[in-house]
Amino acid sequence: MISPETLVFGVLAALGLISMVATFMAVMERDLLKAVLFSAVQSTAYAFMFYILMAPDILLVYVPVAVGLYPAVILFLIKKTERFEGGEEE
Amino acid sequence: MTVSESEVITFIIITLPIYMAAFTLYAVRALKGPTIPDTVLAIDAMTYDLAAFLVVLAIFFRSPILIPTAIVLALWVYALDIYVAKYLESKEMGE
Amino acid sequence: MAVPAGLDWVLVIIGEIMIAVGVISDLIAAIGLLRFPNFYVRLHAATIGTIWGAFVPLIGAALVAAGADFLGRYRWFMAGGAVITAVLILILGPAGSHALARAAHRSKAAVVQPKVVDHLEEDSRAPSPKEEGGEESEAEVKEGGEP
Repeated sequence: MISPETLVFGVLAALGLISMVATFMAVMERDLLKAVLFSAVQSTAYAFMFYILMAPDILLVYVPVAVGLYPAVILFLIKKTERFEGGEEE
Repeated sequence: MTVSESEVITFIIITLPIYMAAFTLYAVRALKGPTIPDTVLAIDAMTYDLAAFLVVLAIFFRSPILIPTAIVLALWVYALDIYVAKYLESKEMGE
Repeated sequence: MAVPAGLDWVLVIIGEIMIAVGVISDLIAAIGLLRFPNFYVRLHAATIGTIWGAFVPLIGAALVAAGADFLGRYRWFMAGGAVITAVLILILGPAGSHALARAAHRSKAAVVQPKVVDHLEEDSRAPSPKEEGGEESEAEVKEGGEP
């Protein structure tokens, strides 16, 4: 029988790995729309981490900001400017 | 005859690794998806399943106060879908 | 307020069967989403993951929470929240997938690979002779509506 502490730390390790890979790819990506979506993956992993650390009040604030409003604002900004970083490739 | 607590908890513990494997596979597709709609579709499916998993984990932790987070998660990921769909269509219209 | 004796076991067993079905189809949907060749084929796997992988285990979790005595009096809150989430996912998941597929087809972000005939692409490419006025003009208005 797994104790809840073991469960919490194992799931935290898996989520930390997923969010780290997502953050790295979001930093290295030149297509800004894809970078926003990788950031959404990282936000989802962090939301699950907040849940499993027993902070549902922080989760209730974090999910609308990081999954809802932040990609909306960044997508509006990309629509107004340009999609690719650097600008030499269409 | 009341429901034995250990039976339910053991069942949930058995389901946990399968859920984590499914989330890892969803995240792999979301991170390597060749086009934009692939990524959004993977995030979408991953988060709906995450909402189901949060409710199952609330039974595991025996704390009913954790429930409303699943509703919030499902609603806002739908909003992300609509944002990206609207972005793609507006680009197609030549704005 | 209490469930009659014996009925709570029925609720818990049915709920656990539904959660097991949801978990298995969740894994199947993840494998399918990873191995299918392109976007329009992956939509099928995503549908499995949304309805069978999220709606069914949420209803099952609601039944388990309604039957499990050890959760205390607030288990009815838990069951109600699970049912609300299930109904929301049942409505929002197909709507989001449909909007995404429509946007992907119109913006040509993904190739339509196992294709026999694509009437939607032909209709959108050849714009509106006079003979099929109603739908076409409505689509024109909807397209041009946004500045």
